[in-house]
Amino acid sequence: MAAHAEADFRTRLQAWLPKLVLSPSLALIFVFVYGFILFTVYVSFTDSRILPFVDKNGQQTFDLIGFSNYEKLFRLSHWEIALGNMAVFAGLYIVICTAIGLLLAIFLDQKIRGEGALRPLYLYPMALSFIVTGTAWKWFLDPGIGLENILQAWGWESFSFDWIKNRDFAIYTIVLAAVWQTSGFVMAMFLAGLRGIDNEILKAAQMDGASNWNLYRRIIIPQLRPAFLSAFVILAHLAIKTFDLVIAMTGGGPGRATELPATFMYSYTFSRNQMGIGAASAVIMLMTIAAIMIPYLYAELKEKK
Amino acid sequence: MARAISTKRKSVNTAIAGTLGFLMFFPILWILILSFKTEEDAIRAPLQILFDSGWTLDSFAAVQARSDYFKHFSNSVIISVGSTLIGLMIAIPAAWSMAFVPSKNTKNVLMWMLSTKMLPPVGVLVPIYLIFRDTGLLDSRFGLTIVLTLMNLPIIVWMLYTYFKEIPGEILEAARMDGASLREEVLYVLTPMAIPGMASTVLLNIILAWNEAFWTLNLTAAKAAPLTAFIASYSSPEGLFYAKLSAASIMAIAPILIMGWFSQKQLVRGLTFGAVK
Repeated sequence: MAAHAEADFRTRLQAWLPKLVLSPSLALIFVFVYGFILFTVYVSFTDSRILPFVDKNGQQTFDLIGFSNYEKLFRLSHWEIALGNMAVFAGLYIVICTAIGLLLAIFLDQKIRGEGALRPLYLYPMALSFIVTGTAWKWFLDPGIGLENILQAWGWESFSFDWIKNRDFAIYTIVLAAVWQTSGFVMAMFLAGLRGIDNEILKAAQMDGASNWNLYRRIIIPQLRPAFLSAFVILAHLAIKTFDLVIAMTGGGPGRATELPATFMYSYTFSRNQMGIGAASAVIMLMTIAAIMIPYLYAELKEKK
Repeated sequence: MARAISTKRKSVNTAIAGTLGFLMFFPILWILILSFKTEEDAIRAPLQILFDSGWTLDSFAAVQARSDYFKHFSNSVIISVGSTLIGLMIAIPAAWSMAFVPSKNTKNVLMWMLSTKMLPPVGVLVPIYLIFRDTGLLDSRFGLTIVLTLMNLPIIVWMLYTYFKEIPGEILEAARMDGASLREEVLYVLTPMAIPGMASTVLLNIILAWNEAFWTLNLTAAKAAPLTAFIASYSSPEGLFYAKLSAASIMAIAPILIMGWFSQKQLVRGLTFGAVK
């Protein structure tokens, strides 16, 4: 009888085991992501500063103030600048990376020699941390010690390149560094897409005398649609998350010329002790990414079924 | 794409692709070369820099003396390896469960997990910062390790899942038929087959943790700062020159320069969330 009960227990355990061992991961991700996001949303509705929530006398140090943080946020010129910079940065970053990535992939797909050695070269920058590459770019572009200084020292005295110190151009230096880092990675995404295209169709088109240009324009590029879509989603979320690159290269300056939403959030929360407004800006960023991500995931899941 | 391409075109394309690859890799190469030069040599004309005899390790020594590289290095190792190992311990059972005992929701759960990696970390910065401050975890290696574990857990679970999925379930069944207990099944049958996939996952995750800067900059100061914070301290270049700056960069990325070569595939797979296998 006891043996029977034990066997029964064992089968029940075996049935439950998969769910049991899965639950810690699910619970951790759930609390860590959604729990903490909810908390951020809550803070965004308070006038909380960076202070402890409860002071020495047990008094609450903040009040619920509804949407006024959001109202304040969108009246701040600082935030407006961050959004404007983000539009310039994300637009250029996504378009240039996609173009370079696609071109590199098409080149690598021409059965060139030594592809195996070249691919890692293109991909290398992506393996490095943005903070290291950003710091290196900062030195390189700095007029005092970088490119300008070197070329002048080598005799080209009139050479001048001070974009990183120039309010109107600094944002483009961030684009430059980010594009350098990511293009090879986008190339890998397109290369995988190119390799997945059915050869028979291409052969048939070539038999019919389609030129190379037409082959790409009419058959290959349209078939890369999924690759374009994933590239867009991945680049867009990387752009919105951009933080370390700016911190390393310009710290948001000169002035606010390279301030992005993530650096705005950081400076409002920590340097200015306006945690409520910082949280509100984080919520706006979350919603933007969700607006890009959810339709994409939805389409992916539908396709897989 | 298998298409006929003339030999001449092929050579031209190879040359162009090679040049582009070289250009992209050039900044890294140049920094590597400069780091072995004296300051005087580092600002000479390019060809002189290459062929002058002044190869030296002085810059590395100077960086170590200025900002205690080895302390930051060991912080980086502890945090990235620690977060990877803890992550594995939590993730292996979860991935095992999803790969071998899938339910009809498994695909959705995976997608959901992975999607959380796309959300910006600023969304959870405030609560984590407050918890850290109130529990004294700010600027501690332990705290940073935990945060990085949680950050990368979705990627670990999902990477392991895709690798486990490739292991044929029949083999496990056969072992069970032969009377292997669950423990034996996992230990002697599953583990040996899963090791390559686990190694890939570990590699990717160490790179991700090593490169992590958002949490590093926000949660550490002096004591627990890993190499990403170390290099950030060099971002105001007063008094430092090219060779030393280059040496500092190379020291910060040295392990990645080596690991990066072996982990291209995993990097692409992990960072595209499976869009590219």
